[in-house]
Amino acid sequence: MCGIAGRILRGYGAVGNDLVELMDAQAHRGADSTGFAVYSKLCETGYKLRLMGFSRAHLDSDLDEFAHILRAHGADYLSEPVIDDSGDRHYAVRMLISEPADLVRWIDDADLIADRIEVQSLGKSLEIIKDVGDARAVADKHGVREMMGTHGLGHARLATESSVLPTASHPFWARPFPDVAIVHNGQITDYYSWRKRLQQQGYRFMTQNDSELIAVWVSDQMSKGLSREAALDKSIDAIDGVFTFMISDTQGIGFAKDRFAMKPLVTVEDGGELAAATEEQAVRRVVRDECHVINYDGPSLTRTWTVGPQRAAA
Amino acid sequence: MSEVVITVGDRSIRTINQEIQAAVADGHAVCVKETLSRHNLGIGLPAGARVRFEGSVGYYCGGLNSGATIEIGRDAGWGTGEAMASGHITVNGYSGMSVGASMLGGTIHVKGDCGPRCGVAMKGGDIIVEGKLGYQSGFMAHAGRIIALGGAGTSCADALWEGQVWVLGDIESLGVDTQVVEPEPEEAASVEQLLAGYGLDDSAHDWRKVISSQRLWYFESRDANAWLMI
Repeated sequence: MCGIAGRILRGYGAVGNDLVELMDAQAHRGADSTGFAVYSKLCETGYKLRLMGFSRAHLDSDLDEFAHILRAHGADYLSEPVIDDSGDRHYAVRMLISEPADLVRWIDDADLIADRIEVQSLGKSLEIIKDVGDARAVADKHGVREMMGTHGLGHARLATESSVLPTASHPFWARPFPDVAIVHNGQITDYYSWRKRLQQQGYRFMTQNDSELIAVWVSDQMSKGLSREAALDKSIDAIDGVFTFMISDTQGIGFAKDRFAMKPLVTVEDGGELAAATEEQAVRRVVRDECHVINYDGPSLTRTWTVGPQRAAA
Repeated sequence: MSEVVITVGDRSIRTINQEIQAAVADGHAVCVKETLSRHNLGIGLPAGARVRFEGSVGYYCGGLNSGATIEIGRDAGWGTGEAMASGHITVNGYSGMSVGASMLGGTIHVKGDCGPRCGVAMKGGDIIVEGKLGYQSGFMAHAGRIIALGGAGTSCADALWEGQVWVLGDIESLGVDTQVVEPEPEEAASVEQLLAGYGLDDSAHDWRKVISSQRLWYFESRDANAWLMI
């Protein structure tokens, strides 16, 4: 019983604060961990990168090794890493990097030290912030309310089939596809068969979490030529289980819901603005007035929402 | 009966429900404003209570109702009237998944459409839906009637027990182990008498009554065709 949320603003604004409100209202759906995917201004060059380190005692040496791998792929820091080491065991790092010569090969190499440092998001616009604790705790610790942007996702996790760890939290980056993130409420029952098939194609998974798999599955379908809409439609029959997931990129947000209609999604859609959540009472945190609410309650549903043209002026 | 106004806003639901119960105990009708789709409003209200929620409510509104008359001004979330024993609930808009789940008696009147699994495992009472029934409505209903005036979605009345689903209009598909039968005249008269009480008696009714075909009641694991049906 996780809680998910999505938000698209009409323009560039305080999307971080809205996502925190959406998730705070759904904290009862799972306070094991909370996470946010925020799309802010596009980098003109390079990527925004968020990573998590697991040994503060080895922070300097592990970051040195990470930088060494990055430079071996023809890239470098574009800004000094900003380090938050206030966590009990782990630390978080944000940085800008130039573009590696081959992104897929670089992330493959960078993942060789994923037991010490794990890249959690990479994109021209995307930044994923996630940690153990409820929405307020994670937001306060990582300054999510202050994050500006155009759109984003949120997730409150009730852990079921994988660990309660910051790295097992949502959203998941669709490794190695820049700017693609997912949040998911449900359970994939053919997880291991799909994981094996995707691994045989060369994809790498950092957790045992089925949600991570869906992000890669959809991105893989799109890399083979399907539109986002077609990939979402295909997921309903191709993936077995009960699920409602939302997937995002720089263009907007899409969702898919399984054949059994077990996991809710409620939206308010108004003039290019979107507020979406598992529960209507969460949506009403950001849309206070009585409004037309859409309940995506039926089975086998998909929908996409795009960020409006005002984004270009942001 | 004088009316007490209670505002929800961001206040705790426990406090709101205590205020509603206190006003009802003092013999007042209650109007609840600024509901903001909050969950668990008006749970366990007693006989004689008259409570009106302006705007939309969240999950489980009117659950465990024991004889109260409850009106919801707009939409309702999941599980409206869950396990209610008696009384009456009106939803003026859409009602989300599992309205009337496990209800024992009383009546729920939804003026709009309803979500999936309306009346799931209900054990008595009536649910009137002026709009369309959602996916798999009537799922495993033990008793009672679901009466839809605007058709039904897919997998209608799936795995029904002794509940009945009455439908005017199209049924997109029937669930497993169901059959459509011609209602007896006195049964139809009973349904139409119920509807007349809600001013819903102005059309010629061509009912499709869905009941269980009872093949799953006495399931024989060696019956290959029964397995296929599931």
